[in-house]
Amino acid sequence: MKSQQFQIDQKETRDSYMISLGGELDLSVVPQLRTALEPVMDRTDLNLVLNLRELKYIDSTGIGIIVSILKYRDGINAPFSVTEIPPSIQRLFDLTGISGYLSEGTEK
Amino acid sequence: MIRLQIPSHADYIDIVRVCLYGIASKLSFSYEDIEDMKVAVSEACTNAVLHGRPAEEGFSLIDISFQPTEAGITIIVKNDGPPFEHHDSETDEISPPLQGIEISELPVGGLGLYLMEALMDEVTVQSNENGTEVILTKYVSQ
Repeated sequence: MKSQQFQIDQKETRDSYMISLGGELDLSVVPQLRTALEPVMDRTDLNLVLNLRELKYIDSTGIGIIVSILKYRDGINAPFSVTEIPPSIQRLFDLTGISGYLSEGTEK
Repeated sequence: MIRLQIPSHADYIDIVRVCLYGIASKLSFSYEDIEDMKVAVSEACTNAVLHGRPAEEGFSLIDISFQPTEAGITIIVKNDGPPFEHHDSETDEISPPLQGIEISELPVGGLGLYLMEALMDEVTVQSNENGTEVILTKYVSQ
């Protein structure tokens, strides 16, 4: 099960900050994810990108966090996007309806 | 019937998923159905952890039972914490799928029960003074 463990990688470039998630995102890793997000949430100069390519599992807890990032970034007029969504996760985004908001995103 | 008991803490929810995966695989559920059940069962456990007895009062326990049937499987997630409302009062008026809502108005919580209902064939939630029981049923696709 080691391969399923939650992972966060962060990479800052000139105009974007990419957070790549891997493994399983559930209630147990919420504090870890919030800590990683905290320093960049207010960076209006950067496009905050959440890359989900290696994410194997998400549920309403993770979806709630993505919605809260979306709302916060929209509120401060800062760009946010979610990229490389695996099909099984896309399905949950479609079921809950958040995909509609992610494709629009807050890209300016 | 197969029974599993975990402390009411987020760190153990993945164990329930591993266990479910093993049992559902033997029952010849498809990969997609197993993924759906993993989310639904985790949602029930997440609710139990969030609404169970707090750590200061000694963690409560969550009982999970897996009952294979002729047509599929019934999973019961039971916790002994106080009963909880099935819907967050704030999100009562907003029901998924979310569409046509301003971003600032989007609900951050309250999607758990909706997902359980969308991913399982039958969902029953029973709350009383002894705790809450979530009964999830999935049939093997023909």
